[in-house]
Amino acid sequence: MELDAEDLIARIRARDADAFEALYDAHHRLVYGVAMRMLGDAAAAEDVTQSVFLKVWSSPDLFRSGNFSAWIVRVTRNRALDVLRSRNSHPEVELPEALPESDALEDVAFANLDATAVRAALETLPPEQRAPIELGFFGGITHDEIARRTGIPLGTIKTRIRMGLRKLRATLEGAVTV
Amino acid sequence: MNASHDAMLDDVAVYALGTMNAADAARVQEHLRTCAECRAEYEALAPSASAVGLSAEACANAETGAVTVSPLLKARLMREVRRDAASSPVVARGGSWGTYLVAAACLAVAVWTSFVNISLNHQLHGAQATLAATQTTIADLTSAHAQRFAVNGGEIVRVHGRIYLAMHDMPQPPRGKVYQAWTLPKGAKTMRPSLTFVPDAHGTALVALPVNAALTSAVAVSVEPAGGSKQPTSKPVLVEQLG
Repeated sequence: MELDAEDLIARIRARDADAFEALYDAHHRLVYGVAMRMLGDAAAAEDVTQSVFLKVWSSPDLFRSGNFSAWIVRVTRNRALDVLRSRNSHPEVELPEALPESDALEDVAFANLDATAVRAALETLPPEQRAPIELGFFGGITHDEIARRTGIPLGTIKTRIRMGLRKLRATLEGAVTV
Repeated sequence: MNASHDAMLDDVAVYALGTMNAADAARVQEHLRTCAECRAEYEALAPSASAVGLSAEACANAETGAVTVSPLLKARLMREVRRDAASSPVVARGGSWGTYLVAAACLAVAVWTSFVNISLNHQLHGAQATLAATQTTIADLTSAHAQRFAVNGGEIVRVHGRIYLAMHDMPQPPRGKVYQAWTLPKGAKTMRPSLTFVPDAHGTALVALPVNAALTSAVAVSVEPAGGSKQPTSKPVLVEQLG
C-alpha cells in the first residue's frame, strides 16, 4: 500500500485527480480518525480532513518518501493541534510543539501495519504505559500537563512513555514479521 | 551512562511522541545533533510513536463503534480537485517554481469558486449574500446533528428543517432528460414536483430542496424530460422515506 501511495503522489504531482481520489479512498478514514480522536467533534474533524487532503493536492512534494500513513498522521495531528490552539481558552495550558512533518524517520517496516494490529499492540502495554502514550498523542497536551492532571511525578511519566514506546516497537516488529 | 543522560533518553522518547512544549523540544533537538546514543534512541522510538496514530483509523464497521466519514466530504473535495485539475497546467516532475505557483494560484481560485458555487440552486445577488448562504450550506452538511439517509449514488441530508440531496456518484441522464426531485408532504398520498437538476461530469450534484423538512415524509428522484414534469413519467431512480 505504501509503495502505491508513492506512485499516487507522483501522479498527483502531474495533477491526476483520479490518483488523488484513490489516495483519499485509502487514507481518509485514518486522517478523519486521528482528527476525530483529538478534537471529539465531527464537523471540526471533517474540516481538518479537508484541509489535510487539499494540502496533499496543492503541495504533494511535502511528502518525499517512506511511510505515507505515518507522514499524513503527523500532518493531521499538527492541523488538529492548530485547531486546539485556536480553541484554547486557557492559554496557561501549554500545547505540545508540532511534530516535524519533513522528518523521514518513520520506519518503512511499519508501512503495512493496519489499525487493528496497532490497537492490538497497544493493548499489550500495561495501562500505566499505554495511558500517557495515548493521552500524549491524541490528547493535545504536554507530558508536563499529563503529570499535573494525573498527579504522577513527571520523571515517572517520561519513563513510562519511553518504556511503552520500546515495548510497542518490539510488539509491532513481531506483528510485521508474522 | 549517568542518571542525567538516562533522563535525557526519557526526554527523547517524549520528544518522539510529540508531547513536548516548544522550549523543551528545541533543547532535545539541539542535543540530538551531538549525541549518537540519543539519536539512535530517537530513530528507534519515532516509528513506534508514529504508529500510535494508526490506531485511530475510523472504520465502516458499526460493530466497532467507530464513526464513518460523510461521503459529502469526498464530494466537496473531488469537485474542487477536479476543477483545479481541469484548469491547471500539467506539472512535470521537477517543474519550475513558477509552474508550482501557477498551480497553487489555480487551486486558490478553484477553492474560492467552489465556495461561491456550492449552492447550486440559488442565483444570489452579491458575494456576501452568496457567502452567507454557502456558509449555511456547509454548516448544514457538516453538522453533527444532520440525519443522513444513504441512497444509491449519494445521500439525503435532513438538518435544521432543510433537506439536501447530495449525490456524488450519479450517471448522466439520457440526452434531453434531467433528474427531477419529488417530495411527499406528510399526510399526502401523491408526490409533489420539486427541482430539476443534472449532475456534473463527475456525477456530483448538491440540491437544496425548497421544502420544510418537518412537513416532508419522503423524497424521490426520477428521470424526466428537460424542463421537468408535473407528475413522474418514469420509475423513480430513488425513493427514500424520511420518517
